[in-house]
Formats: sequence, C-alpha cells, structure tokens
Amino acid sequence: MQKRVIGCGAGFAGDRTDPAVLLAASGMVDAIGLECLAERTLVPGLRSRKADPEAGADPRLKRRLTPLLPAAKANNCRIISNLGAANPRAAGRQIAQLASETGCSGLRIAAIIGDDVMTLSDHVDWQEPIDGTLLGAHAYLGAEAMREAVMDNADVIVTGRVADSALFSAELLPILPEGDLDPLAGATTIGHLLECSGQVTGGNFEMPDGSSLSAQEFAHLGFPLAHVYEDGSAEIELLDGAPGRVDILTCTLQLLYEVHDPSAYITPDATLDFTGVRFEEVGHNRVRVTGAKARGKPTLLKVSGFVEQPGFIVDIEIGYAGTYALRRGQVSADALRLRLENMFKPEDVRIDLVGVDSTLGASSLPAPNRMPEVRVHVSARCPDAETAMIVEDEVYSLTLSGPAGGGSVRSERRPSLAVVDGFIDRELVKTRTEWSVAP
Amino acid sequence: MRVGSVTIGRSGDKGSTLDLTLVAVDDAAWNWLEPRLTTERAQQEISRVMPGTITRYPVPGLRALKFVIEDALPGGVYATLHAGLHWQKAAIWVLLDMELED
Repeated sequence: MQKRVIGCGAGFAGDRTDPAVLLAASGMVDAIGLECLAERTLVPGLRSRKADPEAGADPRLKRRLTPLLPAAKANNCRIISNLGAANPRAAGRQIAQLASETGCSGLRIAAIIGDDVMTLSDHVDWQEPIDGTLLGAHAYLGAEAMREAVMDNADVIVTGRVADSALFSAELLPILPEGDLDPLAGATTIGHLLECSGQVTGGNFEMPDGSSLSAQEFAHLGFPLAHVYEDGSAEIELLDGAPGRVDILTCTLQLLYEVHDPSAYITPDATLDFTGVRFEEVGHNRVRVTGAKARGKPTLLKVSGFVEQPGFIVDIEIGYAGTYALRRGQVSADALRLRLENMFKPEDVRIDLVGVDSTLGASSLPAPNRMPEVRVHVSARCPDAETAMIVEDEVYSLTLSGPAGGGSVRSERRPSLAVVDGFIDRELVKTRTEWSVAP
Repeated sequence: MRVGSVTIGRSGDKGSTLDLTLVAVDDAAWNWLEPRLTTERAQQEISRVMPGTITRYPVPGLRALKFVIEDALPGGVYATLHAGLHWQKAAIWVLLDMELED
C-alpha cells in the first residue's frame, strides 16, 4: 500500500522553530505542515498590507524558514504552510529570496491565492450583524486548492487561510483514490490530529493523578509525524529519542479538540464522522488510527470576518503582598466596584482577584486564608481612550487612597475586535497557484 | 468522587463557542461518568461561570463526553474581560473539579 510521511512543524503562529528542523533533518518525512495562522493573526497582516502591498505575510516567516529551508532541501522534504497570512503572493516572493540567501537556489515555491473574499463579502451569509468596520474576510480553503502545487511537486507551498488540517492532508492527494471520500476523510483526520503540534505528543495534557511530562521533556518536546496510507489510515509517532508521549489518551483528546458534533466535524474537503475512529498502540509512542468516515462534502465554505469596533478593553491589575494580603485585595476590589459600578453596564466590567477567582469565577476552588500575595484585576469595555484612562487612574488611585501597600500595577489596552463567522458558496471562491523560483 | 480523578480533559474554542472534552481513562471510569454527568448537571456548574447553553455529545467508542457551549465566550476569545487572554484554556477544570456521587 502506498504511503506518505508527514510531520507537524508548527501548531500556531508563535510555535517553536526547532522541532520542524529536526523533523526535516531526520530524512523520514516527505512533507512538513506548519500551521501558523490563528483567527486573529491575520489582522496585523491586513493592516500592514494596506500600507504596503508587499507586506502582510507572517512576521516570523524569516526566523522560521531560515534554518528550515536548507534542511528540507537536503532531505527532499516539502514545506506546506499558511505563513502567507494576509499576502501569500508576497510571501512566495519573500521565500524565493530567502531560499536564495540560504543556499537553496532553484527552490520552487507555490503561492495559493484566493482565500481573501473581501470583494465577495456581499455574498457572505454572516451569522451575526457586522457591527463596526469590516477589516477583512477570508474563506477557509481545503486541500483541493493545493492540488496543482502538490502534483507539480512544489518545494514550498505557502497559503493564506486554509483549514489547518488541509496543510497536512494536501500531501496525500497524489496517493488517495479519486471518487471515494473516506480515504480523504482519514487523511484530513490525521491532519486534525497533527495540526496542534505538541498537543498530541504530551503537551497540554495531564493524567488524573496530576502527572505529566517533566520540565526537561516539555522543554524539548517532540512534534508528531504520521505515516499515512492510501486508505486514509495512519500511524502517528515521534522521532526516535524525541521526548513526549503518543498514546490512546493523547490521541483521543486531540481528536476531539475544538470539535463540536463528533459525528459531523465540518472541514472544506469533507464533513468528518469521528465516532468510529479507533486508536491502537502498536509500539512505543506509536499509535495506529483507523475508522474516520466522510459524511459528504460541504457546499459552503466558512468565512472569518474581522470587525473593528471603536474603543478599547482596558485590563489592569494592582498587587498586595504579606500578612492579610487577601483581605486587602478583597477590600480593594470592593472599593473599585463602588468607584466603577455606575460608569459601566454590569456586562462591560469585571473585577476579581488573580490567584483566587480570576479564571474560573464562582467555580474556583476555595482560597486558603493566608495567601502570600494577591492581585486585584479589572477589565472594562471602554467606548474611548478617555474612559480607558479613567479606569486606569481609578486603579492607580488605590496606591494613595486604598488599602495599605498596593503596587506592582500592570495594565494594557486592547483594541476591540470581533471575529464574525459567515458562509459562502464554494463555487464563488476561485483559487489559483502562483509560482516563484529562487534565483 | 471528583470527575478529574478518573478522566482527562481539554478546553477548546471556536469563535464564541467553548468546547470541553472529557475522556474516561478506562471502561469502569466511563460507566461511572456517563450516566452521572448529565447535560443538566453540567449546565448547572457551567452556568456559575459563563453564559451559554450546553449541548452534550457522548462518544462511547472513545469513552468521551463532549460539552459544547454556544455563546460562552461573547465576541470571541479576544473580547474577554478576564485577566489576560485565553482564560478558556483552563475552563475544563470547571468539569474536572466537579464532585459527583459514587
């Protein structure tokens, strides 16, 4: 049975850069997928592209690819990534230039164009009203958009918004049978299992007794690779000697991660039914995956719209330490409620204690009576900069007019930005491939 | 018994929807968990912490329960009024720390 081996080199924009180089240098993988584009990651790219038509690719492109391109070239390993962000065309040219500078002349780069559907935004069925300025609208493309690039054997495929799983399943297109969606469903499922890098190899994972990998293992966590067969089954594993764990539990948790109905996980290439997926431990840190089924191919593509709204979220903290710190924090929070409660609607302000209940609110475990330190946190949705400054000043004012010893103040303002989902007829979304060759 | 003493879990999010996954570590754990952690029981606990309505998906073949809470994260994760970003990564402990009858 034919197979291809794919590795995961990144699971989010800021992910570590060294694991991808290890995977490429191993000589074991045919392709490395790097998922580098979260929902909001596109927004700074859209802003910079507005000012400069050559800007808008991922700002970490150079740092990530400088060590990876030579290792991948030496081992005949394809790189597939959404590092193109808001400007895959420009990213293709930047990668060609970088390849040239890193001794990889002749490298062929395919940029996938077409996810930007801003000019089609009237055809998007938005799920919520667009309340503010629409900064951009991007459709989630599937593996199909990369077919030409894979078939023509691109060394690097760079995209904007595509489904994360497609960055991995695209490599399988040449060996998957046409006309049967189940093998593609299998390959897409493997993509879904790989797309969050360390989350399937022991990261973000804890056993019921509180045990997890060690600090040493987390510091050098191996990223996964998968041997994917033409029937859509696969075996997931780590490179020999790479720290981490791949077992039924790590795979099950990642399979269901960010899935809603497990019998109908919608991707651009197929709607996936995970309920029949089975995992089998076939070796140390090696798990066989079978049983994913397709339930048709969606006629609509998901679109993410970014809506800029006026105003800020201000997020500020003040700390208390030493004996009675918790009591001083509680009094401080109550004083802030008295100062701020008339300024905001209840849903636009939040006041709590970091170290006590700022994360899980009323569901938090009981706090001990004596805490060495505590921080009072305030966040408020402010219509303008003046209001944000008033909130910040109210917190600072506690250093003089509040409980003793308040300090260690830290604050930030975040612009108000909403991500709105929509759907578009996939026939309206035309994609194409633009090639660059490293001089 | 504490839910997290026999299950592992993880939080995820898409837009304003929070999803919580629990996986029982063996068949005995699954047979204990599945009938006890009902939609109503989970909704009761979740509603102390966030808005939204739960849909529960049991996946017996994987010994897993999925809880999907629409509009739990109004405006998405970047519009949160929690301290810092991504508080929802810890939201699974709302379920893991629940005590259910033996």
